[in-house]
Amino acid sequence: MNYNNLLDLSQSLIDGVLFGSIYALIGIGFTLIFGVMNKINLSYAAASVAAAYVSLLIVQTAPPALVYVAAALVGGVLGALVYLICFHLLPLNKPLATLMSTVGMLLLIDEAIVHITAGMPQNYPAMFVGANIDIGPLSLRSDLLFVFGFGCLVMIGLTLLLKRTRLGLATRAVSQQPVAAQLCGMSITGTNMSTFVIAGFLGGTAGAMAGAAIGVLSPLLTLPLTVKGLVVTVIGGLGSIPGAIIAGLVVGGAENLFQYLRGVSERDIYVMLLLFAFLVFRPGGLFPPPAGRD
Amino acid sequence: MLSINGLATAYGKIEALKGVSLQAGAGQVTCLLGPNGAGKSTLMLTIAGILKPKAGSIRFENEELVGKSCADIVARGLALVPENRLVFPALTVRENLMAGAYRRRDRAAIRDDIDKMFVRFPRLKERIEQSAGTLSGGEQQMLAVARALMSRPRLLLMDEPSVGLAPLVVAEIFEIIRQLHGEGVSIFLVEQNAHMALKVAHHFYLMEQGLVTFSGNPGEMSGDDVIQRAYLGKRRAA
Ligand SMILES: Nc1ncnc2c1ncn2[C@@H]1O[C@H](COP(=O)(O)OP(=O)(O)O)[C@@H](O)[C@H]1O
Ligand SMILES: [Mg+2]
Repeated sequence: MNYNNLLDLSQSLIDGVLFGSIYALIGIGFTLIFGVMNKINLSYAAASVAAAYVSLLIVQTAPPALVYVAAALVGGVLGALVYLICFHLLPLNKPLATLMSTVGMLLLIDEAIVHITAGMPQNYPAMFVGANIDIGPLSLRSDLLFVFGFGCLVMIGLTLLLKRTRLGLATRAVSQQPVAAQLCGMSITGTNMSTFVIAGFLGGTAGAMAGAAIGVLSPLLTLPLTVKGLVVTVIGGLGSIPGAIIAGLVVGGAENLFQYLRGVSERDIYVMLLLFAFLVFRPGGLFPPPAGRD
Repeated sequence: MLSINGLATAYGKIEALKGVSLQAGAGQVTCLLGPNGAGKSTLMLTIAGILKPKAGSIRFENEELVGKSCADIVARGLALVPENRLVFPALTVRENLMAGAYRRRDRAAIRDDIDKMFVRFPRLKERIEQSAGTLSGGEQQMLAVARALMSRPRLLLMDEPSVGLAPLVVAEIFEIIRQLHGEGVSIFLVEQNAHMALKVAHHFYLMEQGLVTFSGNPGEMSGDDVIQRAYLGKRRAA
């Protein structure tokens, strides 16, 4: 491998890691919801993309940053709706019930997007396009850098929320020991609801950042984001936020490397192999959940 | 202070409580004995509002608790130290205590109370920033008691606080029960360790198969085979 190949390889790795912050956000969302409810919300990534679509409504009048914030807020609203429709109304002791209701929601959201936009990709505003930062022979795409930075800010905000606020204390308490949390006067339903809203904020941000990084929103985004988000959740360790962050960046970087080495058509096969390797050799992920609750 | 009448709680078709009536007096330590599976924990969880009864009433300081949420019940001054402690394993000791004060808004007083807990439980102070899952069984039990006290209860329910602990730690737990009683907290205790319970409790109940089958003070127990039945679950021959 010559010098130029090595450069290209490093460049793809860097771009991939930066884009991986989006996977990290989606992975955190899956993990947060799993933490409090012990359930997977399969409609999550689709709702995240949908939130970005809704934020296009103000794209003519508002600067990009405001569009992203709008996407986050809409994500929160969709999170609340998904909780009420797919979880609150269903029997939680039947694992398949909520799984199927969220699959249904995933398909519904997908179809709604396709119908409303006639399946046509929609331009999405980006920031700092073209102004790249050169580090020696490598260059950091500043639009991706912004996506990465914005994602990191949201993650820091989430960490502060979980560690420093009353709501965060309740979220963590309910996920660790629901009976004791109730004895302390915490409401399980209230905490579930607020966790869906918080996860929705993250998802809306992820949807917006995906749009900003790619330049367009398309219905073709929902499936890969769902799959990559789940892969990240498993590799990171179900329930672990640091795990989801690291796994998100790893999957983003690995995906781009595979694409550089093997081409776009084979890329996802290798991502799945990576997942498979984890499932075989380290099934608990990077940060395995503690064995059983007492 | 606490007056329970005809309380029935079921898990699906399994009737765990079949019409339980008992009282826990103000300023007293009341002890509930009974073999495994008698329904003692079910009673505790029903009083605390985790389980919903099918029938009966629970009056606490002349207010009906049946139908109220856990949050309302703890806010009224009744806290449960649950069976198996149930500390939050990945929260620090301090965060566990903060969780116990979740329904309170008086931040300064909460901070004061945490300091007081560390006077009462000095070993928790050394572990304040440690996650609760790393504590020993005895320390976790102390933490579970401290967490319940953070809601400033007037009646403290405790479900088998001494189970699985070394004798010295058991003695410590009972010392704390005695102290709390001295400070005016009423206590309703589920205990398998009848010999320790005899030293602190003013009134005893025996529960067998979802029913109260004995009620009396320590003196009335000696002439009866209550203690044997509490351990072995044998019903007296009719
Ligand atoms: N979650 C549950 N689901 C079904 N049955 C239960 C459950 N918890 C307890 N039981 C049953 O209820 C009865 C009383 O249990 P419990 O209140 O735990 O007794 P104790 O605390 O006196 O040992 C037992 O027969 C037990 O098997
Ligand atoms: Mg029990």
